[in-house]
Amino acid sequence: MVLRSLVSVVDDDESVRESLPDLIREFGFTAQSFSSAEEFLDSDYVGVTRCLILDVAMPGMSGPDLQRELTRRRHAIPIIFITAHRDDRVRSRVLDEGAVNFLFKPFSDSALLDALKTAFAEVEP
Amino acid sequence: MMTQLGLQGITAATDLIDVLETVEMPIVVVRRDFTIGGFNSAAACALNLLPSHMGRTCRDIPMLAGVPRLEQECNEVMAGGMESRVDLRDGARWFVIRISPHRKGNRQVAGTVLTFTNITAFRASTDQAIYEREFTKAILNTVADPLVVLSADQRIQSGNRAFYTMFALTRDQTQGLPLYEMGNGAFGPLRAQLDEMLAGNHAFQLVEVDHVFAGDQERTLIVNAHPLSLPGHSERRILVTFQDITARKQAEAAKDLRSEEELRRSEAFLAKVQQLSSTGGFYWWPAAGKTIWTEQVYRVFDLDPAAPLTTELRQSRIHPDDLPAHREAIQRAIGEARDFEYEVRLLMPDKSVKYIHSLAQPTRDAEGNLLYVGAVQDVTQHRRTEEALGKLRSELAHVARFSTLGTLTASIAHEVNQPLSGILTNASTCLRMLDADPPNVEGARETARRTIRDAHRASEVITRLRALFMKKSDAVESFDLNEATREVIALSRSELQRNRVLLRLELADDLPPVTGDRVQLQQVILNLLLNASDAMRSVDDRPRQAVITTARDEGDGVRLTVQDTGQGLGRQPIEKIFEPFFTTKDDGMGIGLAVSRSIIESHRGRIWAKPNDGPGATFSFSIPRSANGAHLKGP
Repeated sequence: MVLRSLVSVVDDDESVRESLPDLIREFGFTAQSFSSAEEFLDSDYVGVTRCLILDVAMPGMSGPDLQRELTRRRHAIPIIFITAHRDDRVRSRVLDEGAVNFLFKPFSDSALLDALKTAFAEVEP
Repeated sequence: MMTQLGLQGITAATDLIDVLETVEMPIVVVRRDFTIGGFNSAAACALNLLPSHMGRTCRDIPMLAGVPRLEQECNEVMAGGMESRVDLRDGARWFVIRISPHRKGNRQVAGTVLTFTNITAFRASTDQAIYEREFTKAILNTVADPLVVLSADQRIQSGNRAFYTMFALTRDQTQGLPLYEMGNGAFGPLRAQLDEMLAGNHAFQLVEVDHVFAGDQERTLIVNAHPLSLPGHSERRILVTFQDITARKQAEAAKDLRSEEELRRSEAFLAKVQQLSSTGGFYWWPAAGKTIWTEQVYRVFDLDPAAPLTTELRQSRIHPDDLPAHREAIQRAIGEARDFEYEVRLLMPDKSVKYIHSLAQPTRDAEGNLLYVGAVQDVTQHRRTEEALGKLRSELAHVARFSTLGTLTASIAHEVNQPLSGILTNASTCLRMLDADPPNVEGARETARRTIRDAHRASEVITRLRALFMKKSDAVESFDLNEATREVIALSRSELQRNRVLLRLELADDLPPVTGDRVQLQQVILNLLLNASDAMRSVDDRPRQAVITTARDEGDGVRLTVQDTGQGLGRQPIEKIFEPFFTTKDDGMGIGLAVSRSIIESHRGRIWAKPNDGPGATFSFSIPRSANGAHLKGP
């Protein structure tokens, strides 16, 4: 159950990595944070992550790049994109490619919770 | 002597013989058979006859043998009884030989008597006269100018061909006509003068006569006259010459007209130039206090050219604030004859202000008085343009800043949203921790602390933004260029990230503080950094890397360099990229680098670009640590 409810957060912003896992834990999930897409891919958590909260713009591999890489590796992890950039083109593209939701920072805790519920509904029908 | 002659039938008449001997005219008696019957002394002398020639035929006398037809003529005279003449030429001598029948008492013709008349002298003078006459006639008829000879009562005697041609009259039509009656009295005025001339009172003065000839041709003639005295004649005549100057007059008139026209045109041209250039000219005699203005100066001063130009009138237009300086300039110009140049404002009756630029050079007039020749130019438009240009320049700098702001909107939004997001997340977590049972107070405290930290972060971003975009920049301060650079990077970090630009900083540790307009210099750094980022947007085959370096520069300066691995400077001349509105970007205005250069130059620094050895370009600026004397009133 613990492993099945693991939410991984990938964001280069430290304050996000600090604050978001705490909130996610308050929702009752397990949380793990990574500072880059590469770090996440290199970790042991790729296979056990049940939901990915992913920043769009990061140095090196971007959020959408990681989405494509996971698809290529056939890891069907539900992804909730978060970004501080209001870029609707990126939003519609990643949603087309299967992302669960696309949240613009700053977002409310209820918006995040709704997105998480949707994500888990997808993997736990 | 008479016996020698042996004149038959005359011997008895001694008196007659004497007479014949005294006659200087050579006489030869020729018999019917053409033999010499007798001759007198004059004949012996003239024809070289000797007594032995008596009875000899004339054919043996050399002088007579050379006379053509002499024998025939003698025979004809004897046959017909009529006198005849033949000419005899002997060298330079000419004789006319009269051949008369020699009748005896019975009226029988016994022979002929030849009398010789020496016509040498006569012949010569006649020849000369004919020659002279013909020669003169030829000259007169060859002369293009008409000539006419008048009698003393001014009647026409004869003219040359040109004379008759000109008047379209024949010799017969003009013969005896008084000249002063010709040409409808056009020559009337000549009459008195010709009389005076003939009377010897004075020489003839040239007279210009306009005369209408046949065919309505008006011609202008210059008439001249000379008295002619004929030696041996008491009668005097007058030679009158006519010179047709119509063509010359017309050419002169045309030339006058042309030069007048040219003058008018050049005057009009100058007036137009004065008007176009808003420049008028003046003469000023300081000693006499006299001034002459061109129309344009009156126009500039808006004064009536008809009104007397007094000092009071002139100074009534000078702006009261400028009047003392104006008077001083005038006094200086009077005191020392030197070039002067000054600007003065005019206050017009409608309260508008004109800027006048005046310059003058001293010179001397014909009397040696000091005279200034000068120009007055209305530079109001120029001044206004300058002012407007300055305003425009600073507005352009603002536009440049705000266009940078536009480029940075996303980045700024990111920079603000990021801490806001943290605040919201932390605050939500905090509430949830406090709502838990039991409340997680320790966790709540931690999240509240993070909330405060993020709020500070957001506030800092706003402060930086305000500094860079809202603050009026004219503050000169001493600051750390490295710190200013880091602030710029903080604002543009997200923009660089979005363009996948790796930024490396190589900031010198020992950089001395610089004095200048911090915000303006940050604007330059930001501009160079965003340009570097843009230049690498299309690069996919190599790292998009930007390196910002700061260093001490030679002398007392500091240098900042931004190096990229972008598309480079292209083929355009490098200087061109700092010109306004030069851009290689589709969405660029081309004012960023121009404004940057303007800012750096106002700090007495310089900005330049050069291509890298590898891909990309390097932009640098260098400024002295202290911008003393720099024009930091704005770019």
